[in-house]
Amino acid sequence: MLLLACRRVVLCLAVGAAAAVATLPASAADPGQLIQSTATEAIDIIKKTTPGPARQAAIQQVLQTSFDLPYMGQTALGVNWNKATEAERARFLKAAESAEARAYSERFGQYAGQTLTVGKVTPRPNGLFIVDSQLSQTSGQPVKLQWEVRDAGRGLRITDVKVEGVSMIMTRRSDFNSYIQSHGGTVEPLITELESRAAR
Amino acid sequence: MHFKVQAACATLLVRFWPGIPRACGGPGLALIIESVSKSMTAGVRRSVFAAAVAAALVGGCASGDTGAAEVWDPIETPNRFIFAINRTVDMIAVRPLAVMYRDGVPEPAQKSVRNVLDNLGEPVTAINEVFQGDPSRAATTMARFLVNSTLGVAGLFDVATTLGMKRTKTDAGQTIGMWAAKGVEPENGGFYLVLPLAGPSNARDATGLMIDYAIDPFQILPIALNVDWFYYSAPRYALTAIDYRSRTMFALDDLEKNSVDYYAALRSAYTQNRAELIRAKREGTDSKSELERRDNLALVR
Repeated sequence: MLLLACRRVVLCLAVGAAAAVATLPASAADPGQLIQSTATEAIDIIKKTTPGPARQAAIQQVLQTSFDLPYMGQTALGVNWNKATEAERARFLKAAESAEARAYSERFGQYAGQTLTVGKVTPRPNGLFIVDSQLSQTSGQPVKLQWEVRDAGRGLRITDVKVEGVSMIMTRRSDFNSYIQSHGGTVEPLITELESRAAR
Repeated sequence: MHFKVQAACATLLVRFWPGIPRACGGPGLALIIESVSKSMTAGVRRSVFAAAVAAALVGGCASGDTGAAEVWDPIETPNRFIFAINRTVDMIAVRPLAVMYRDGVPEPAQKSVRNVLDNLGEPVTAINEVFQGDPSRAATTMARFLVNSTLGVAGLFDVATTLGMKRTKTDAGQTIGMWAAKGVEPENGGFYLVLPLAGPSNARDATGLMIDYAIDPFQILPIALNVDWFYYSAPRYALTAIDYRSRTMFALDDLEKNSVDYYAALRSAYTQNRAELIRAKREGTDSKSELERRDNLALVR
């Protein structure tokens, strides 16, 4: 009996180890490389397209492949995430995703010679990587960009961007939370607002 | 003499900012409002000190945070009211002027205006750098000021940068934040405050603003020499506002367009940006704090 239990435990461990190994190749690329390739991709899109639906779709594609959108959405909602139903979460993620894609596609009218230089990568004990980088412009001061990269079983994904110390996720979190508090404390009005913005 | 007293006030404030036991809420607030109105009539020196003490009293209430918490904003309703007025003034006057300035004035002229304004600000930066414990950087800043005021024709041209003296900019808000006790995150600048016309601030940075005003030689001199406000201070502030607004146009427009609650988004962005600047100052003493804050943040979610 005891032997059987032992065998089962060993089997479980073996399966677990196999699963762990199987997910490893997905996270082979290093965080700095991820940022560099994402930046190259984004610059390429800005070079080739003009602001509009085509660019927005391309940006959305990059968001889906390089960013951990569910995780970002969860962080941006904070405690309100737990209060939301499964359906609300899905709707929120979808609306927030197209809102971000739209914001990015309109942010840069056309390519103006910016280049991204990736610097130091700092691994943290909780599995996060902090990637320093600098956005050099043809005129004016370079902009300090910091990326947060994490591997949650689907390979390395970007989870946050900090521009001159201002975290996109923290700003959204504050923004969303304040909106939720002033609209009855539920996520429903926020989702409706984001959806109506996406439809505009 | 004047300088020394100001400096003493600053160090006193700096030393006691985080440590002393505090009473929260109303009385401190009344004090700061009273002292601000006093500054119009009575001597600037006394009111700055009173305001500093008041701000210190009120400022420390939100302590022991991990940085993941929301910005402390106990007077949100009046803040939102001032914010709405600021936005209206911005919409009908400041922003259109800034757009005209940005698009209509030739680039070199804009650069020269910025250089002159920057040059007038150098002494304040130098004084703060001394109090931030960086005399060599303060010396560079003063050298820059001397070079640009003479060779650079009253600051019109930034000769110092071409000579290899890099420009640094700091203020008393950063000085206070830098010397705050270890447990006080730079995100915690006391209560959030929206200043009329000047916009987002907090107890720490508003105090810093008053200190900077009081120690600015280019603020003291015109008063001492009895220069008419209309010919010096008014143009300087108007140009500063237009120049600053034209430079922040892109970021602010973006934030406004992509937020559901612009007030809250700006409050968060302002606090984070100021914290980043202060953290860069503190870096020498506790470089780990920023990364640890992030770890805490990850635990919260």
